[in-house]
Amino acid sequence: MKPVISIEQLSFTYAGSERPALSGINVTVNPGEFIGITGPAGAGKSTLVLCLNGIIPHFQRGEYQGRVWIDGLDTVDTHCTEISRKVGSVFQDPEAQIVASTVEDEIAFGLENFGMEPEMIEARITDALQRIGIEGLRYRSTVELSGGQKQRVAIAAAVALRPKILVLDEPTSELDPLGTKEVFEVLKQLNQEYGLTIIVVEQKINILLEYIERLWVMNEGRMVADQPPRQIINQPELLTGVGLQIPPVSELVYRLKAAGYYSGELPLTVDEAYWALLKCRGGKG
Amino acid sequence: MIQVEELTFAYPNGLPVLENLSFEIKSGEFVALIGQNGAGKTTLLKQFNGLLKPTRGMVRIDGMDTRKSTTGLLAQKVGFLFQNPDHQIFLPTVAQEIGFGPANLGCSREEIDKRVREAAVQVGLEPYLNDNPLFLSKGQRQRVAFASLLSMRPQVMVLDEPTTGQDYREGIEIMEMVKALHRQGHTIIFVTHDMELVARYAERVIVLSQGRILMDDTCRRVFYQPDVLRRTNLFPSQIPCLVQRFDRYQEEFGMPLSVEEFYKAITDSGGEEYVHCS
Ligand SMILES: Nc1ncnc2c1ncn2[C@@H]1O[C@H](COP(=O)(O)OP(=O)(O)OP(=O)(O)O)[C@@H](O)[C@H]1O
Ligand SMILES: Nc1ncnc2c1ncn2[C@@H]1O[C@H](COP(=O)(O)OP(=O)(O)O)[C@@H](O)[C@H]1O
Ligand SMILES: [Mg+2]
Ligand SMILES: [Mg+2]
Repeated sequence: MKPVISIEQLSFTYAGSERPALSGINVTVNPGEFIGITGPAGAGKSTLVLCLNGIIPHFQRGEYQGRVWIDGLDTVDTHCTEISRKVGSVFQDPEAQIVASTVEDEIAFGLENFGMEPEMIEARITDALQRIGIEGLRYRSTVELSGGQKQRVAIAAAVALRPKILVLDEPTSELDPLGTKEVFEVLKQLNQEYGLTIIVVEQKINILLEYIERLWVMNEGRMVADQPPRQIINQPELLTGVGLQIPPVSELVYRLKAAGYYSGELPLTVDEAYWALLKCRGGKG
Repeated sequence: MIQVEELTFAYPNGLPVLENLSFEIKSGEFVALIGQNGAGKTTLLKQFNGLLKPTRGMVRIDGMDTRKSTTGLLAQKVGFLFQNPDHQIFLPTVAQEIGFGPANLGCSREEIDKRVREAAVQVGLEPYLNDNPLFLSKGQRQRVAFASLLSMRPQVMVLDEPTTGQDYREGIEIMEMVKALHRQGHTIIFVTHDMELVARYAERVIVLSQGRILMDDTCRRVFYQPDVLRRTNLFPSQIPCLVQRFDRYQEEFGMPLSVEEFYKAITDSGGEEYVHCS
């Protein structure tokens, strides 16, 4: 399979900064992959995302080395609007992303820019609002929304574009727990229905481990791990070593295992932890 | 410290956001306010510093009716950390930003400098006092906003999603600072969507659902009534969720909130009882 994203020896240093924000990133992504990125603040997660949607190097000054190919196109030689047809983005700060004054207009905005027919636009808006569960906000003014509501609008706007690749930078930071789960359900659905390639930066490790298929752990501009969640959780130092947390249920079973009450794999979810505890009993009995 | 009596609030466009709320927060409490997006948490917090005033009913801060006092007066009692730090940062240096509140209070130059230094030390921003806040990272900007609040030395600290947009370590660091303030006697009210933080820090939990109070109890009791929480689409932190998968958890494990507590409950039974119960 031809990779849909391929990054070779990518390094980037923001203009005026001494330390590189990214150094020596090498990675390829196949179509239809569902990837999570996590890492402490300043690790370079957002910078990597900006390299995928072409903001870097097109709109951000700095020293750029290496190559990023999106669907066969080198981002350096490709116009940003061309890239944005392939890569849909949800930025870290929804306030900065939202430009229109009503929710409906916000979602229509990108579609109109792509020159889409009005009936088609209508269908896409309805579909996106429904998927994200914000039909009720359609005619609301964007400035009067709560933090979480704004974030949902930004996600709906990106989803409406049905890009080939969707990159989301901490899209659930202001969402309530169910809202967060719903967003990941929607992403999973889009991933399965349309084979959409998804890359999502997320601090909420619990939900990330439950949904994604491949996890990138970043620290100080480098990719320090690139493995499926199950492998990562069985080497908790990969996360704790860079100052991140492992889910409380994984930690519990990890401690039971260290104390000899359990032998086996560490759980990723509450459900798996339940089965691990049962097995732990059986093992002792 | 805070008395809310039959508070109803609607924004000018007519939507009723808070409906007939009555409760009290005593001096020295550590309260988490939780609820779905749009439940009215931020709107409620803004009643505490007079940024919004009741449409009906009353909010009293240390005896003062918010409708009859100025925001300046209330700001000395209630410090407020906004959901987005950038909404409260507007001066060109960190030092000026932190000193803004005390300057407004009419403090002397020395007093301002003293408060700025103390607050900066407390949040670890000393090296950045002459920097422009806009060039700092989001986590650092959150600290600037937090230090600005500390320099006012308010008795009550109201924090709207203080850890949002920060990584795990930064979030814990902020909450540890808050906890230290609580130990010094400050009243803390914070909003968060992170149930792990609620389990770890809050003594009392108020659950807001569509502008009404659904539950108001200790964290432990709230997280061990998941049916009620679910009515407003919330679920407890991971450990209580896991514990409640076991039918007879009460006898077997009690009601643990933390990994530590659950681990103890499992291993204290010497593994023996643990092996047999099922
Ligand atoms: N300035 C405003 N004018 C009109 N309506 C508003 C305004 N601010 C908030 N609202 C509405 O009031 C309701 C409660 O909003 P609030 O910001 O208090 O929610 P919240 O519980 O803090 O949510 P979140 O968790 O998303 O921050 C929402 O329906 C919101 O859209
Ligand atoms: N616009 C910018 N100008 C200068 N430096 C920046 C800019 N954005 C980010 N950086 C720096 O680049 C590094 C990586 O930042 P970022 O990609 O935002 O990390 P993360 O998203 O993992 O928190 C940090 O050291 C940060 O301070
Ligand atoms: Mg970032
Ligand atoms: Mg809010």
